[in-house]
Amino acid sequence: MLDTVREIETPEGVSLRLRAAGALPRAQAWMVDLLLRLVVLFVAMIPLALFGKGGNGLAMLLMFALLWAYSVVCEVWLDGQTLGKRALGLRVVKADGTPVTWLPSVVRNLLRVVDALPGVYGVGLASTLIDPHARRLGDIVAGTMVIHAQEPPAGQQVPALPALPLPQVLAADEQAALVEYAERAGQLTVQRQEELANLLTPLTGQRDTAAIRQLVAHANWLLGRA
Amino acid sequence: MKQERFIALHGREWDLLQSWLSALERQPKRTLRQEQALEFPQSYRRVCHHLALARGRGYSHEVTERLQRLVQQGHRVLYRPPAPRWHRVAGFLLAGFPRLVRAQWRCMALAAALFYLPALCLVALLQLRPELAHTLFSSAQLVQFEKMYDPANAHIGRSSGTDLQMFGYYVMNNVSIAFRTFASGLVFGVGAIYVLGANGVLIGGVAGHLTAIGYGGPFWRFVVGHSAFELSALVIAGGAGLQLGLTLLAPGRQRRGPALVAAGWVGAQLALGAFAMLLVAAFIEAYWSSIAVLPDALRFGVGALLWLLVLGWLWRGGRAGTHGT
Repeated sequence: MLDTVREIETPEGVSLRLRAAGALPRAQAWMVDLLLRLVVLFVAMIPLALFGKGGNGLAMLLMFALLWAYSVVCEVWLDGQTLGKRALGLRVVKADGTPVTWLPSVVRNLLRVVDALPGVYGVGLASTLIDPHARRLGDIVAGTMVIHAQEPPAGQQVPALPALPLPQVLAADEQAALVEYAERAGQLTVQRQEELANLLTPLTGQRDTAAIRQLVAHANWLLGRA
Repeated sequence: MKQERFIALHGREWDLLQSWLSALERQPKRTLRQEQALEFPQSYRRVCHHLALARGRGYSHEVTERLQRLVQQGHRVLYRPPAPRWHRVAGFLLAGFPRLVRAQWRCMALAAALFYLPALCLVALLQLRPELAHTLFSSAQLVQFEKMYDPANAHIGRSSGTDLQMFGYYVMNNVSIAFRTFASGLVFGVGAIYVLGANGVLIGGVAGHLTAIGYGGPFWRFVVGHSAFELSALVIAGGAGLQLGLTLLAPGRQRRGPALVAAGWVGAQLALGAFAMLLVAAFIEAYWSSIAVLPDALRFGVGALLWLLVLGWLWRGGRAGTHGT
């Protein structure tokens, strides 16, 4: 399957579909995080400079926290999202789709060292390209993955028309295709709608605008509207 | 059942659950105290059932997507990690961590050998042939080492800086080295082997050189206090890295993926323990080791005591009978 969707069966017996995030949005999230951390560091430097050499030590501790602890603390406390990931709509989850916990987060963030190895994330990039769920090495060892947190906007409603029974019985997948056509028609150009509707002329006996209207009416009937 | 009727029957419950979950994201604590929180698991499982029905009956994308979003959100809430309990941190440091170190004793022994053998060999070798120091280090480095441990200094072990500054520096520097040692072990153990060996050569070289030129007094007085925690933590971080690399090479009677995940969990705990040890080491190094006026007996006595403490802790900590199960 070329899709990046990973199906996970929950204990309730239904499957969750998680959409794995590729290298590009993750690199962008990383850049946002990097900039944020640099800004925090520079802003903190100003009052710390007043403490003289002791301030240097505090700055060093701050740098340590930003370098090693920031990602782990954010991922555990902010529901799998560092601020950069939140900006890009990404989320770290465990392989079974549950929220990431302390140890997996520590593993994936410590092993960032290996993923970042030759220059700028060479190993990590190669790993995300090879792995079917776009995981870097740290994710593979930690048993985590990065997914798109924001779902795509829901499709549109089927426009309401007086229901019209189908002239013949259609198979379940054909019915589903018909309803989905009616749902998505609003997102297509009129020409494309007509082109698709004309494929079903043998069923509707109509062409162009009339065919669209009739298919939507059939969809209304399939949905059980009056 | 037709889709419209299905929505009419259950839509209200979906809306209620959705609004509760959205409120939970905004104000977690208050929302969890609401009456509706008690209903949540049941309500969530009913919605899971609805999703399975909707998929099975071939309802439209619109409905299945909506339910799938709801289930995904609910799944995250129902299976969220438990709140951290701080007494578990103490339990881990006192019992779990030493137990874990002993469980990985082969890798720890290998790491210790990789570090201590070159270090001890170099200390001995430099006593016999002091000129070898110039092949190990550049002249500038040698001058810097000599300046740090010059017996004439008021503070030993550093050329300048206050205690707090050095504490920050030691934390940043030493912990970063330990974490990198662990992580680079993933590359078939090569990174960990290199860092351990290189640090053994570096530390052994400095110790040997300073002893050979007669600056040994300040040097050993400085390092004896924090060496127990610092060197043990470095060895443990290296051992954790070796363990990870060896699992990649020879996963044993497991598939490589699950074996690596298990090794990663062990390694992360070892790295966190090493982090705690290095915090202690940095504190001792910055606030105790640098005091020049302490008498030698006290200094070496405390150093010996700390070594005994660390080794005893790693050897006996968390044994059944002393700490329960």
